[in-house]
Amino acid sequence: MSQLRISNCGFIVRRTSVAIVTLISTFQLYAQTAANREILIRNATVMTITNGTIPGGSVLIRGSKIVAVGPDDQVRAGAGAEVIDATGRYLMPGIIDTHSHTAVEGSVNEISLPNTGMVRVHDALTNEDISAYRQLAGGTTTANILHGSANAIGGQNAVVKWKWGRPISEWPIADAPPGIKFALGENPKSANFSPPAGVAKQYPATRMGVAEVVRDSFTKARAYMAEWDTWNASRNKANLIPPRRDLLMEEMAEILRGNVQVHAHCYRSDEIVMLINLADEFGFKIATFQHVLEGYKVAKEIAAHGGLGAGTFIDWWGFKAESYDGIPHNVALMTRNGVLVSVNSDSDELARHLNLDAAKAMKYGGLSEEEALKTATINAARQLGVGHRIGSIEPGKDADLVLWSGHPFSTYSRVETTMIEGEVYFDRNRDLQQREDRKREKEALLTQEREAEEREKARAKSTAGGSKRGMGNER
Amino acid sequence: MLSRCRQLLLIIAAFLLAVPLVAQPPGVYAITGGTVHPVGGADIEGGTVIVRGGLIEAVGRNIPLPPDAVEVDVSGMHVYPGLFDAQTASGLPEPARRASFGDEAGTAPRATPAPEPTATFRAAETTKLTGEMLDSRRKTGVTTILVASNAGIFNGQSAILNLYGDDIPAMVLKSPATQQISFNPRSSWTYPDSLMGVIAHIRQTMLDAAQYDAASRIYSRDPAGKRRPTPDVNLEALAPVLRGELPVVFIADSETMIRRSRTLAEESKLRWILSGGRNTYRMADEIRSWGVPVLLSVNFPKPPANADERTEEPLRVIRERVLSVTAPAELARRNVPFALVSGKAAPADFISGIRKAIDAGLSETAALRAVTLTPAEILGVDRQIGSIARGKIANLVVTDGPIFDRDSKIKHLYIDGREIRLPAETTASPATPASASPIDGAWNLTVRAPDGDVSIQATLRLQGTELTGTYSGSAGSGDIRSGSFNENRLEFDITIQTQAEPSDWSFSGTVENATIRGTVRTNLGQFEFTGSRTP
Repeated sequence: MSQLRISNCGFIVRRTSVAIVTLISTFQLYAQTAANREILIRNATVMTITNGTIPGGSVLIRGSKIVAVGPDDQVRAGAGAEVIDATGRYLMPGIIDTHSHTAVEGSVNEISLPNTGMVRVHDALTNEDISAYRQLAGGTTTANILHGSANAIGGQNAVVKWKWGRPISEWPIADAPPGIKFALGENPKSANFSPPAGVAKQYPATRMGVAEVVRDSFTKARAYMAEWDTWNASRNKANLIPPRRDLLMEEMAEILRGNVQVHAHCYRSDEIVMLINLADEFGFKIATFQHVLEGYKVAKEIAAHGGLGAGTFIDWWGFKAESYDGIPHNVALMTRNGVLVSVNSDSDELARHLNLDAAKAMKYGGLSEEEALKTATINAARQLGVGHRIGSIEPGKDADLVLWSGHPFSTYSRVETTMIEGEVYFDRNRDLQQREDRKREKEALLTQEREAEEREKARAKSTAGGSKRGMGNER
Repeated sequence: MLSRCRQLLLIIAAFLLAVPLVAQPPGVYAITGGTVHPVGGADIEGGTVIVRGGLIEAVGRNIPLPPDAVEVDVSGMHVYPGLFDAQTASGLPEPARRASFGDEAGTAPRATPAPEPTATFRAAETTKLTGEMLDSRRKTGVTTILVASNAGIFNGQSAILNLYGDDIPAMVLKSPATQQISFNPRSSWTYPDSLMGVIAHIRQTMLDAAQYDAASRIYSRDPAGKRRPTPDVNLEALAPVLRGELPVVFIADSETMIRRSRTLAEESKLRWILSGGRNTYRMADEIRSWGVPVLLSVNFPKPPANADERTEEPLRVIRERVLSVTAPAELARRNVPFALVSGKAAPADFISGIRKAIDAGLSETAALRAVTLTPAEILGVDRQIGSIARGKIANLVVTDGPIFDRDSKIKHLYIDGREIRLPAETTASPATPASASPIDGAWNLTVRAPDGDVSIQATLRLQGTELTGTYSGSAGSGDIRSGSFNENRLEFDITIQTQAEPSDWSFSGTVENATIRGTVRTNLGQFEFTGSRTP
């Protein structure tokens, strides 16, 4: 209760400034927005995340953007606006999952080599994974789709919105910075799985070996960069054979240049420190530590490293030796020590109720409601480099919104509508209606199929019966 | 004993059939009185086609008969160009079975797999077509095929064969016709073993080929003081692809795979052709806007045999199954250049597949063009084949009714201007429906295990060369996995549940006279098994 009271006080102070920002932004964006379709969501409890919670608040959407946020009597829509009465309901920004493997066709692991930094999750994305739609029904709108953790350096990730029903080319967030998966510990040293018969286990087999793969990769990348620098500086290019373009080395070079966000799968505190030291040695940052179940032991070191923090599970541990020291207070302890923290899923199922995982951070370690909400929204957005456009309800941001029947931290609440960029991608009532439509479509298709088969049978019969040409018995 | 005698007879018969084919010189024929369907021009009632020296010398009405011509009166019949099946892997080695992540240690790979093809692989040199296989194509009116492996990632260079005789090198009409790419991951722990890895591999290989080409040119111009580029025949084989001289065929059926193919083609600026194309029914406008020709496979999905299973399938599966057959009509409506091909379908299902497309709204004229002139145009052999026109190769099919009618029969067949005597009275419409395959249906399998026989009931379903189905018995029940059936040889896996841990059993055997015989590899050892039809 005390948490709620604090956030309500904050709201009174901020109310005026919200209104002013709203007015300015409304005018600025009016000219810029191509699609001027307006939607006004009225009289909800608006959880802005970054500017407190507004009871009886309204949000105006124009085209794909939020243009105004404030108390109901201060947000005005144009005459043609579609109005959604959200009285008694809660509006929050779409949940962002910083660790997902949904919507990848084929294996999420290119398992063959210790470093597969040349493979791209973008290439294998599919818009036909129903889990994306199910996650919309749990309020999740954005996910960081990562390569698996089978190798020390895995493939390049994709930050996407669950635009279910749209072509896959429209799913990735265009201005999200590129990223890559690293992995430490049991998985990259193949402790928990074996290759099929006749195939040798691959290097590395120890944690030392994992570190060596990383160091070796960047040592080679420096040589690769030097080779290109020499060639670029040479005067007689037409008569010189250019160096080979190596997509793996180019990716390593981009990491060294600081253009790629590293998302590192890890569990143990010693390894976290090892990777920080390695990154310091080569002069790049680890953007996020993923899973990071022992993060609470080295929270100060993680904060001092100067990356974008940690993405973790709230209460999932003990599933293998290196995860035995996990505790549910990890989120709160890291937060209190200056680490930006998100709760994430690594799971199609968990990704459907990250709101509840965020809520648990209030129970375990005493984060405030606002701090807990941030772990599933703005913190995640900042970690993925998309905090400028999603993660909170602010004028100018993408209209990625979730309307809940009650407080999103209650197990009794459910998602009524999920919107991405002003488009409804999930709506509970629409879904119920579509179930009937799908049933009818299925029946119609099966009838169509049966009729085609009957036509074919009839033709076969007439041929067999009406011809004396010795076609034989076709039954 | 009996079966050995029969085999011997077959060999003798094949020999007898083959000898006259090879020995026969191309004759001079005047095919008169029939309705000529030249394709690419108006039909000619009572037309004449003059064939000389393997080529079409003249076509039209009221053409004077050359004095040396043998007149073949086909009054009341129909004359068509020979059919061109522009995508098949018949006669090429089966792709090796892929060992995948999670395979039980101990399930050794079966049989020695053929080496994976590479960009240099030439189908013209590797294809082995038996007399039986050739006859089975000719007797459905197919006179020309494009053969390409579908194993590996760079499947290699395809060949267009004109099916006269039995000497493959002599059949070649064009080789290489295309380079072909499939999205087949390799076995786990061998790069690339994932779809995204396959795409990364294709991308890097194209870059390497461009680099190799540039390096070779710079080196050959002035080798002094330069390190010699390491010779690489596979990269060299891709040079004509990058120059746009040799088109690339991407094998892709799903919408996502089709889009990936396009992305790769655009990245490397390739001249490309889509093959497979099952999902084109729902993206026909886009396919048109891309300007890509399609080799559309008639390997349409088949429904499960029993009605209950049908209704239990998810909508998206039913949608794809029922609507993919409309793809030809959708592409035709938008004037997308497309051919109908057997692809991964069994060659015996080619004509019945065309008929399904017609039933789903494709006009017979469009269907005919899709198996004659259009594939010839797509593959750049339309000056040689694809229509009945002066100067083209005399591949002709004469039928007693419209060619795709179920009860029409082939009366005469000419390939390279030679009349082909077909083994028996034949028809463009095979009398045996595809469902009467030697493997579809219910089987009783008996595994001779050391502790006694293990009985398994299996229901098998063949889709092209892919075998699916279910099994049940004292050892548990479930789906048949990794199944294949090709030329009487079958392979499939099941997971046995009786032990504390489930284990994979891998069956491989042959089917003859409604009996399966073979061996099964298990975690306990290798045993023999037999199978008979469930009465």
